[in-house]
Parts: sequence; C-alpha cells; structure tokens
Amino acid sequence: MSKKSIGILILVIIGIIITIIILDFLGNRPNNRGDNPYEYNVEEFKAVDASLIHYKETKNIPLGDIIARGMDIFKGDIYITGQNFLQVIQINGVKKLNVELEETGICLLVKEEFIIVGLQQKIILFDHEGQILNSWMPDKETTYITSLAMKDDILYVADAGNRRVLRYNIDGTYIGEFEGKSESEAGHGFIIPSPHFDLVVNSYDELWVVNPGKHALENYTDEGDLRGFWESSSMKIEGFTGCCNPAEIAVLSNGSFVTAEKGGMVRIKIYSQSGQLESVVAAPEKFVEEGKAPEVKVDENDIIYALDFDKKMIRVFEKK
Amino acid sequence: MAEEKKLNRRDFIQNGARITAGVSIVGVGVVAATKSSKDKYVWQIDPAKCTQCGRCATDCVKNPSAVKCVHAYDVCGYCDLCGGYFKPGMNALQTGAENQLCPTAAIERRFIEEPYFEYIIDEDLCIACGLCVKGCGAFGNGSFQLQIRHDLCDNCNECAIARVCPSDAISRIPANQAYIIKGESVANDES
Repeated sequence: MSKKSIGILILVIIGIIITIIILDFLGNRPNNRGDNPYEYNVEEFKAVDASLIHYKETKNIPLGDIIARGMDIFKGDIYITGQNFLQVIQINGVKKLNVELEETGICLLVKEEFIIVGLQQKIILFDHEGQILNSWMPDKETTYITSLAMKDDILYVADAGNRRVLRYNIDGTYIGEFEGKSESEAGHGFIIPSPHFDLVVNSYDELWVVNPGKHALENYTDEGDLRGFWESSSMKIEGFTGCCNPAEIAVLSNGSFVTAEKGGMVRIKIYSQSGQLESVVAAPEKFVEEGKAPEVKVDENDIIYALDFDKKMIRVFEKK
Repeated sequence: MAEEKKLNRRDFIQNGARITAGVSIVGVGVVAATKSSKDKYVWQIDPAKCTQCGRCATDCVKNPSAVKCVHAYDVCGYCDLCGGYFKPGMNALQTGAENQLCPTAAIERRFIEEPYFEYIIDEDLCIACGLCVKGCGAFGNGSFQLQIRHDLCDNCNECAIARVCPSDAISRIPANQAYIIKGESVANDES
C-alpha cells in the first residue's frame, strides 16, 4: 500500500471517529440532553438576601449512625431521642447517658425534675439517671405524638394522628383536649396533612400551636380557646409554603419564633410574636435539597440548635 | 424367520435429524405458548426512582404520551396551597390560568369543604411533563405520580422513554401488577 493510500485511509478513519463523536454529542441519551422544557424552578425563591441572615453556624456535632427524631437542650446538654434510644450528650460530643427505649422516641421535653419522651403512642417520664418514673398511653389507636410542651404542671401533647392537643397532669391524669375549633372562621381546627405538628410554651407562659395546613401559628388559652393567631402563606422568604409548614418551631427569650420548614425549601427563620419576619438563621443552601425540616431548639442564651436529619448532625447557630 | 433390517449410518443420521427438528419445533412452540400466556410483561414507571425529567412528555412514541399523571388520593393532603397545582410565586390561591402550574390545565381543583380541595387529573389533557409531580413531591405529600397507562401504551419491544430515562425508572413488570402506586386508591384507575 502506497503512502498516499495510507494517508487517505487515516483521514477516512479520523473522519469516521469525528462523525461518531458529533452524533454521540447530539444524540438522545439519558444524560445527554439540554434543559428540561418542563423544569420546575424555585431557584429564585431559594435565594436569600444576605442582609437578612443574622446568624452564623458556629459548631456542628455529628451523630454517627444513630437515627435521631427529637431533641431538647437543657443546662448546656443536648438530649436526643430516636430509634430505640434516649441519649444525653455534652456540647463537645461526649455521651453522658444512654437509655434503651422499647420503641422509637419521636419527641422529648427536659425539665428540672424529669425527662419526658414521646413515643408514637406513649408518654414516658424518666428521671435524670434514666429510670422510668411513669408512663401512659393516650386513648386512641390512631394517636401519633409529635411534640410536648409544659406550662406549670400541665403537659401539652400534640397528637397529629387525631389533630388534637391533649392535656395531662404530670402523673398522667387526662385533663382534656382541644382541636383548635371555634365559632369564628379562623378557628377551623388543626389541619395536619402529614405528621408535623409542633407546639411550644414561651417565656410568657403562652401556648402556641402550629396549624401547618394553614401556615399559621395559633395562641391558645389553657382550656384550648383560640386567643390569637397569625398566618403567612407564600413561596417568598416572608412566608411558608407546602402542605405542612412550619414543621418545627421554638421560641427565643423575647417571644420571637424560630421556624423550620421542610420540602423544596428547607430554611430556618425568625418571626416576631405578631408574625413579622425578623431575620433568617439558615438559608436553603445550608440544607439538603427537598430535605426534612430540622428540629429546632433554643437554649437559655438564645443560641439556636438544629437537628439536621439529612446530614445527621446537630448544628449550632449563633448571632453574628 | 423374518430377517431384521439393519440400520445403516445414513438412516441413523436422517432419523436423528428428524427427531431433533421435531423436538425443537415442539420446544419452541411450548416456550412461545408459555411466554404469551403466563409471562406477559408491560412497561411501568417506578415512582420512587422517577425524577420528573420531562422525557416522558417528549420521548414517548405516542403523541401525546402514554404516560399520565395519576393521583393517589389516600396520600393527598387536600391542601388549599397545593404545590402540584399552583405555580411557584402564584398571585393568589385561585384557579386563574396564571396561577396554575400545569401547562395544559389538566388538573381540576374542586372545593370540598373549607379549607380542603380535591385535585382531579384530566388524562386527555395530561402530557406527562411531570411538573405537578415535582411540585407535589417538593412541597406536599407526593400524591401525584407518573404512570404508563396501558390502555394507551403500545408496549413496544424497546420503550423509547425507558431507553433515555436518566434514572432507570422504567422497567418491565408483570402485567397482572401493571401499576406501581404509593397509595392504595387511585383516581380513574383502570378496572
């Protein structure tokens, strides 16, 4: 074969290779496509003005392999519950107490005298050494306990399964319950599309309950009468969106609310008592896309703790 | 005494070939019959793998696509602010076209009682873009799901969407379990 023929052959081969590459580049393969003409885009709502972010993340505590569900902060220690455990860990990550639970603990509340753990259908009181003091079960099989709060000697239990707030004495005596209904249009009752139903008692001894289906925070008397509420539905940073937000709340010492949202835009924000957005603690970019709402708690110094279920860590946020 | 006929080599080979061909034909027939009667498979989307990339709308050989959105009512929260119905940044929670996420207005929002709403898919209008599925999954309970409708699907040997699906969400499943739905009750399900 002459040199000329070899040259032509090489050129033909190069031409074929280039053609294959071009066809492959333009071809319709799974990962070889331009923009989706039907893209669902919420990027503009995820962007947060930096001047609104008043907090910075100062620490995080990895949780390892445990599956945590609930958290509380008490005297500088972190109390967490989850898949068959109750643990107390110091801020440096050292474990102080580990108690095995019969089922998954979903929420907990720590007081001077005891630790209260809410399982899906059971409430258990422990002393601070992990010994059981008392336990009881609500009356309905469809009970799904999601949050606990205390005012004086009354324990408030959020039951997402039955869309009600139960009231008990600390010895387990049932006092009553309410579903958030009233004569007025505002008091429709709790709308709970998924098991996210939080409540808190603030430093002014006011009981606030989230009505997630209405994107509302509602203030109730001890007897369960609606005293006031605010609501804010919006994709924008000022409001809440989705079926069940805010999924988690906590309160600062001045009565402002710390809210955490789940779904397409996981974010932590602070609202005044009357529902005005005050600042942002953590923007969506801090969290996994379409993630779970972090459980939020506040310590006596107004430092915010977020239990990030997706990243499996406790994240600490302090004011800048 | 009758003399036994000896089998020569040629007869032996001929008989062997006949028997082999017969067995093969019967075997192929039996396998084909078994396949057609017992192992009917159809293409279907696994909602757990689906990423709503939009290819079900653009790559199906049928136009409009044989893929449709189905609604699992027992998963639905019947929300007023439905992420699958309303466009992000909508003006108001009203049924105006400017507020709707669906490009073909294939979802009907029906009032039940304050503040609950039912969302019904008009499959004749649905083009399988997956926008509502994405919105519902991101902000709701994920009750909207894409499924291949077998009354519309040609059940091609090689599914054009499966070939380009970036998450391998489409595979063949037994025809007697032709749908994969998260919830139990499905709107407009085939009987």
